[in-house]
Amino acid sequence: MKKIAFIAFLMISFSSFAQLERKLENENQPVDLIFHAPRHINILTVEPLDKKSMHFAIMHTFGTLNGGIENLFGLDNGANIQFSFEFALTDKLSAGISRSSRDKVYNLYGRYLLLEQTQNDKMPFSLSLAGGAGVNTSRYDFLPEPAPNFSERSSYFGQVMLARKFSEKISLQLTPMMAYFVDPRSVYQIEGDQNFYLALGLSGKFKVTDRSSLTLQYIPNLNSDLRSNVGIGWDVEAGGHVFQMYFVTSQALNEQYLLAGGNGVPGEEFRLGFNVNRIFAIGQKKRKY
Amino acid sequence: MRKLIIAYLFLLPSLSFSQSFQTESGEAIFLSKAPLNEFTGESDKLKGLIDLEKNLVDFYLDLNTLKTGIGLRDRHMRENYLETEKFPFAEFTGKMKSIPTLNPGVSYPVAVVGKFKIHGIERNVEITGNLQKTSSGNLELKAKFDILLGDYEIPLPKLVFYELAEKQEVSINATLKPKK
Repeated sequence: MKKIAFIAFLMISFSSFAQLERKLENENQPVDLIFHAPRHINILTVEPLDKKSMHFAIMHTFGTLNGGIENLFGLDNGANIQFSFEFALTDKLSAGISRSSRDKVYNLYGRYLLLEQTQNDKMPFSLSLAGGAGVNTSRYDFLPEPAPNFSERSSYFGQVMLARKFSEKISLQLTPMMAYFVDPRSVYQIEGDQNFYLALGLSGKFKVTDRSSLTLQYIPNLNSDLRSNVGIGWDVEAGGHVFQMYFVTSQALNEQYLLAGGNGVPGEEFRLGFNVNRIFAIGQKKRKY
Repeated sequence: MRKLIIAYLFLLPSLSFSQSFQTESGEAIFLSKAPLNEFTGESDKLKGLIDLEKNLVDFYLDLNTLKTGIGLRDRHMRENYLETEKFPFAEFTGKMKSIPTLNPGVSYPVAVVGKFKIHGIERNVEITGNLQKTSSGNLELKAKFDILLGDYEIPLPKLVFYELAEKQEVSINATLKPKK
């Protein structure tokens, strides 16, 4: 009996000697996919792009649903469409250009990932900064007064994205946001008339299946009487695309207009929105296989 | 009993001077050939051990180091398919069916049998490859094998079958140095 135990011990000690110890290459492996894409409904997320890749997003918001079937739940009433291209200069820094059809606004923006949440929780959250400048390129020839000049057409935004993946299923992001309009004219398609806007974006993701999530967005305005933005949606990963369908209270798509654009009453003036996200690699590596 | 202990003590030092080789460099590549999308994933962090005396072949790969060239695709791969936070490694432990006598500079076909584990699922596999001893005394191993995602309970959703292949063609290349 003793002998057998000893032989067993020998064998165990041999086999444990023999195999290599499994070691992670990076102890501080970052958490993957706090959100499905660099956009979450309307708000930019902490989700970084890898160097030499490009994120392309087409975003739409349609008319209000309350027109019913006659207007095909708002789809007849002219969509606001935004195209955006964001290029990753490094694994943390990216630069983007977007164009939304509402007031024909071009935005140039940058996004920088400052801190990244790790799986071992040494870094418990991710933190990104984003900021940009936009110009309204609509024609205002029809106005009796002189059309606004370039400076009067410009607007700026800045925001901080603080996000954490709490579990496999739940991720949240807090986004203090600000926007500044040099000359917020009433002819612009915004409801606000002040120059400076402050808001706090809240984004939530609840993973329902491996590849789809329930999404939420709430952006209370902190220094204006404008209604707050409310959105609820559904994200689906399909191959290389991330589709985002949602109901939201504003047609605004870029950051400045999200804060100054005004919102309808949730439930009554919901609009259908739809984003398509795709990441492209620029300068693909040569295949070695 | 005492004999056994003595035998064990004799065996111990022989371990450190054994015919054991450990990876100096190792790469693993997988190829996914789906109707609409063909892509590869690569890692140069393959770690392994070949012991010719004890006939042990032991390899593992930190799946977090696999790169497909598109960051978001890597994230989807880690998060939705391989679930690397729960199952970070792909592992193989087994032995050669027969150990060839290695003459330097000649490549010998070898077959290994053992257990391959990925996504928390372990299966018995047989893999064939080529083993060569270089003039400097290193071992070079090349092998190719297929992995069916379904075998390892990695689900392939209907929506993406045209972008991701059920059959992943894996090839590994490793250079192993004698262990001191």
